[in-house]
Amino acid sequence: MQSSDRWAVGLTFPAVLIVAVFYVFPIAQVLSLSVTEPSVGFSNYVQLFTSPAVFRITQTTLSVSLWTTAFAVVGSYIVAFALINMNEGTRRLAMFMVLVPFWISVLVRAFAWITILRRGGVLNSVLLDLGLIGSPLELVHNRLGVMIGMVHYMMPFAILLLYANLSGIDRRLMLAARSLGARPWTVFWRIWLPMSAPGIAIATLFVFIFSLGFLITPALLGAGRTVMVAEYISVQITNTLRWGVATGLSSILLLVVAILIFFAMRQPQLRAAFQGRAQ
Amino acid sequence: MIRKLSGLPSSGFAWILLAFLFLPVLIVVPVALTDRKYLSLPENGLSLQHFASLLNWETGWLPSMVLSLIIAVVATVISVAAAAIYAMGAWSLRGWWPSLTRVLLLSPLVVPPIIYAVGIFKLWAWLDLLDSYTGVTIVHVVLCLPFSVLAIGASLSHLDPRLIQAARSLGARPPTVYFRIVLPNIMPGVAAGAIFSFVSSWDEITVTLFITSRHVVTLPRRIWTSIADSVDPALAAVATLALAVTVIVLLLTTYFRHTQLVKSSKPLNRSI
Repeated sequence: MQSSDRWAVGLTFPAVLIVAVFYVFPIAQVLSLSVTEPSVGFSNYVQLFTSPAVFRITQTTLSVSLWTTAFAVVGSYIVAFALINMNEGTRRLAMFMVLVPFWISVLVRAFAWITILRRGGVLNSVLLDLGLIGSPLELVHNRLGVMIGMVHYMMPFAILLLYANLSGIDRRLMLAARSLGARPWTVFWRIWLPMSAPGIAIATLFVFIFSLGFLITPALLGAGRTVMVAEYISVQITNTLRWGVATGLSSILLLVVAILIFFAMRQPQLRAAFQGRAQ
Repeated sequence: MIRKLSGLPSSGFAWILLAFLFLPVLIVVPVALTDRKYLSLPENGLSLQHFASLLNWETGWLPSMVLSLIIAVVATVISVAAAAIYAMGAWSLRGWWPSLTRVLLLSPLVVPPIIYAVGIFKLWAWLDLLDSYTGVTIVHVVLCLPFSVLAIGASLSHLDPRLIQAARSLGARPPTVYFRIVLPNIMPGVAAGAIFSFVSSWDEITVTLFITSRHVVTLPRRIWTSIADSVDPALAAVATLALAVTVIVLLLTTYFRHTQLVKSSKPLNRSI
């Protein structure tokens, strides 16, 4: 090994050491606890797969995550598509409306939604005053509230992903199609949509992966009535101290995310980003 | 001509969606200005009393802001320094080591934070670091690293490797090459990494929630408790300040045309 290579390897050590000791080791410990706590074996997993509570939590998590992903990706595509068709000034305004919520903390957003959606909240007051409803609607502290919060959280992220993808598409293709007599809808269905399929796939996968792990938003907007897997794990640790269940569920969640990432990595763009190559 | 290409009726709907994204966060402003003692819209006029109460050390908001600021600065400095030297080293290496370590360093971006929270809770309980400043700062360093590695790595991928060869052939030793030649060329990446790190530490809640209790109360932790209590309008005042800072910074970056940097490379904060 040349002296310059030794130098280069040495430079990588501090960061790798921090992550190995304070990230990889604790997560490896979660995996190992799941088969050793309280006794060695797969009893935790047997318990997880037979527990009605865990079954219900899994069902809620999957259903909320899938619906969130569907709404967020479709909505984001509409916004991203509009963004690339705007002129510079309008786009700057629209981009500002995307970036403000993008940078605002999840807690502030959850608080804003509670203020708007709760029984005596802004939206119910307005609707009651207008006489559109007779009694307050249940908009939050249920599954609807959780999904509003999650879609609102994921959309700016998905919009930026899709916008980057859509702006990389060669516009002359559409001009060519139009000049050959294709109608706007045909251009959209037969050119825009297929051309942006990789971007849509990445956005869908990432929104879904992130949705599975949501803790803060469901905890605040679900208020214990819509419990997703992350909140369930957190309750096992802080309240009931069932480490076996908590680490077992964490391990399954990690496995699911790893499988999804494995599929995502088959996208060359994404693999390049993770390996640090210029695209 | 190109603008009106599609002619689809999607634009109106897009503005409704944009309103859905942007308008709800504005609600914190009137609530912060309420003249009441509880969370509500103003009734008989506006009042700045809840902003004033933030400045009162006894209410706990100011100590939490100072604490979050200190933790964010320390975590940012450590993570950016570690990430910068890591990225420079990995950039000049080939083979499995840089690929593997990069995946490890970036994994907090995709692994659900609850899994890390469970693991670090166990480790900190064992090392007696629960509810300690050191414990929180180390966790924030780990969670900031991927943002710095991505931003600095992006800067490095634009750097011409021949620059290094030239320096080497002129007799520069490795430390000179890295710290006198490479480092000054990736300062934009270092700056972007520092901004992203600072924001993600300042906002971090999921893992911090697990490893702190009464002693170490960061700003997000205090906001969390305050939302659960759902009484004090000072919460809305804090949210308004956060909103104001975000808006000002975004307007400045748009004005100075660094928007590209801000919007393209910030990955999503995983503390959700």
